[in-house]
Amino acid sequence: MLSDPMPARGLLPQSCQLVIFGAPGDLAWRKLLPAVYNLNVDGVLPSHFAVTGFGLPAEGSVSGDPDEHLRNRARTGIQKFSRQPLDEGHWQDFSRALFYVPGSFNDAQAYTQLKAKLDAVDQQFGIPAARVYYLAVPPSLVGMCVAHLRDAGMITSPTERVGFSRVIVEKPIGRDLTSAQEVIRTVAQAFDESQTYRIDHYLGKETVQNLLVLRFANSIFEPLWNNRFIDHVQITVAEEEGLVQYDDQGGINGSRVGYYEGVGALRDMVQNHILQVLCLVAMEPPYSLAPDLVRDAKSGVLTCLRPMTPDNIERHVVRAQYIEGDMHGRRVPGFRKEVRDFFLSANRPLPQASVNSTTETFVAMKLFIDNWRWSGVPFYIRTGKRLPRRASEVAIQFKDVPSVLFNVNPDVPLEPTVLSLRVQPEEGMAMRIASKLPGPKVRIYPVQMEFNYATGLGGVPPEAYERLLLDVMAGDATLFLRKDAVELAWQFVMPILDHWGNSRQRDLPEYQCGTWGPVEANRIIEPDGRYWRTL
Amino acid sequence: MSGQVPLREVERELKQRMQELQGESGSAFHRARMSNLIVFCDSLQRSIELNDDVPAISSVHPARTILLVGEPGVERPLSARVTVRPLPRQQSATGACVEMVTLHAGGSAVERLPFAVRSLLIGDLPVNLLWASSVPPPLAGVLMHELAEPAQQIIYDSIGWPDLVRGVAATAAWLERIERKGIRWRVASDLNWRRLKYWRRLLAQTLDAMQVSHPDGKVCEVAIEHGPHASIQAWLLASWLASWLGATPRGGRVTPGVEMTWQFDGPRGEMQVRIRRREEGAPTLHRVRLGCDPQPLVVSREGPQRLSVQNEDGDTAPRTVTVPALSAADLIGRQLSDREGDERFVAAMRGAQAMARAVVGG
Repeated sequence: MLSDPMPARGLLPQSCQLVIFGAPGDLAWRKLLPAVYNLNVDGVLPSHFAVTGFGLPAEGSVSGDPDEHLRNRARTGIQKFSRQPLDEGHWQDFSRALFYVPGSFNDAQAYTQLKAKLDAVDQQFGIPAARVYYLAVPPSLVGMCVAHLRDAGMITSPTERVGFSRVIVEKPIGRDLTSAQEVIRTVAQAFDESQTYRIDHYLGKETVQNLLVLRFANSIFEPLWNNRFIDHVQITVAEEEGLVQYDDQGGINGSRVGYYEGVGALRDMVQNHILQVLCLVAMEPPYSLAPDLVRDAKSGVLTCLRPMTPDNIERHVVRAQYIEGDMHGRRVPGFRKEVRDFFLSANRPLPQASVNSTTETFVAMKLFIDNWRWSGVPFYIRTGKRLPRRASEVAIQFKDVPSVLFNVNPDVPLEPTVLSLRVQPEEGMAMRIASKLPGPKVRIYPVQMEFNYATGLGGVPPEAYERLLLDVMAGDATLFLRKDAVELAWQFVMPILDHWGNSRQRDLPEYQCGTWGPVEANRIIEPDGRYWRTL
Repeated sequence: MSGQVPLREVERELKQRMQELQGESGSAFHRARMSNLIVFCDSLQRSIELNDDVPAISSVHPARTILLVGEPGVERPLSARVTVRPLPRQQSATGACVEMVTLHAGGSAVERLPFAVRSLLIGDLPVNLLWASSVPPPLAGVLMHELAEPAQQIIYDSIGWPDLVRGVAATAAWLERIERKGIRWRVASDLNWRRLKYWRRLLAQTLDAMQVSHPDGKVCEVAIEHGPHASIQAWLLASWLASWLGATPRGGRVTPGVEMTWQFDGPRGEMQVRIRRREEGAPTLHRVRLGCDPQPLVVSREGPQRLSVQNEDGDTAPRTVTVPALSAADLIGRQLSDREGDERFVAAMRGAQAMARAVVGG
């Protein structure tokens, strides 16, 4: 059954307390608390386990019992976002182990209260001082939280025999190479690298994990997985959502403009998610699944990425912004208007840099991995917001068959064989192959062989956060980013960011909401005799 | 089963409907889909007919069908309905179903249809656009252009075009532009061309045979008779025949609703083509007379499923071919799988364009 999200290598989650920094925030509400609830329902949490939230709600204080406050919030989050419906029996059991300490991240006294609470919960649940600190906070606060934890004596050494301290750091890790190195250094002042889990939730997706299984547990694929047989690879992460969510009356009921403006798609998606997926597609087989060997293999790919020169950037990278268009039958505004609406609704002056924002909401690029296996094989990647549908996939397009027998008409070439791995939604994979249509004439038609996790294995796969939380509890860092991988990824994108920063381009290419990006993206791929896939 | 759903819920609703279908039947179903089929029509009445045709189309070529109803005039916001139907058992021993999404919009909301379609296409499967409007595709403006953009095949039906000369001239020029060769190829197909398949086959075989028996023989006159609404079929057949014989039009004249005539110059001399409309009868071709030297020939319809050819004086037994009875849905279903384009069609349309120019010039 699919509902067993236990770490693959058989490591068991250890008894611990999950301490969520930023518990009143969106990530905890939408993802983390529903994930823990699902793990509880599936019966895979350790027997001695509790969740303690920390932080201040947006309104600044909590009235009444703080624990009840978090429980109520968790309940609504689970009702709205959990993959499994809220069951009263499970909820009673789950909510008993939910606690909350309201406090400011910058208040030493609050950490004292937190420590006391954690100790009390340890006592109550028989947990051996084992803590997983989940820093669901803005990157600028990571250093502060870590320093307070260290100063309050809440971090145990990795050599301690009883209990443990682990920290989960959310993306973004920095906004450029320098700041990323600063975040890494700050965390390292309190936590050893072996205690640090830099999370990228994409790596917790079943399809992404399945990349390794597909490649290395099936004898037919790995022999083909190289430049002799693969024509090119496309990685697409398409999002429907824009930066502002509007209600039916046109009022704003949610916005990520504050985070996204000045960040852009390259930092938000390419530097982390897409490059990590690329690593799994392109890495050499490690000789074991030991976390550091897998991570060595991934870093090996990043090391081989062909550096982006200014000339390459001009020819192989396109950034763009969405303008007004149509999504699901509704007119939606462009990005620049959303930025203005956001600042207006927040009664904040529009920053000068945002007046004519050049933050990209779409990036497409062609890149190369200069090693023996991938020499000459282009990797086309694209990501954007307000695209027609939410869809992420890796598509491996194999080389054309020779122009003899069935592929003789150059005007109507056979559709190439494509292996596509859907990361979301409907995780699964499909293979497009050519088949003869029934009848006396030889007519070739592309058909799909499809596998869908939900229908093929009888259930909805666990959410990525479920798997990743369990891995941290089990001490398995395979799916988390090592610091060298973070730095290498930033090293790859920095020339692009610098080039854009130095450019005097005032207006980016545009694409209408509800389309597959700007026409300029085609110039990356079509001169090569290829085209972007329709998802 | 059908019901209105928010556009963003369409995929979920389709899945739900499929599960319900599975529950009703107690057996496993799988989705049968060879391609995406976008169908555009501009009237509710036409959409009802097409809706009834979809199961039959799916029997020949299972596809995710996205039926677009874009009514000009009255404003009507974009709405969506989904339908999941089981394929008849004889089509699928294991049980298969096909899915259809109907999008309905009126007035300015029609412009939104291309956006909505983009979010509903299944990646990796070929995309076909069936343009089921009486407006010829090139005269339909930006909507047609946007709907056609993701398609590898654009299927239209020229039968019933109101302004024949204009429609033919515009479509021939459009075909030159719309068709693409190479990696991302695209073709356009006229269902009317498919309807003529057996006429063309019989005529080609007859003329080939005449070439063998009378190497110096020639065709001096072609007279085509057709029923109401089928003048475009006659025109297409005439242009094909002319291109087959290597003839080019010199001049022509149209008497609307009655007759069209052309004079052609060919490698073996002049040729006259006359197309005449019968007041009654089925909306199809009825008779083609080839004024051949030395022996005139007549190809005619012998009932709904048989064509015959014989010498005009009837001194030989007629040779006949069977014409399978094909419904509109059969034609569409077969065309969906037939994606490679047809050079003879392109040549015939080029000829039809020249004939249109000859009429306008004459």
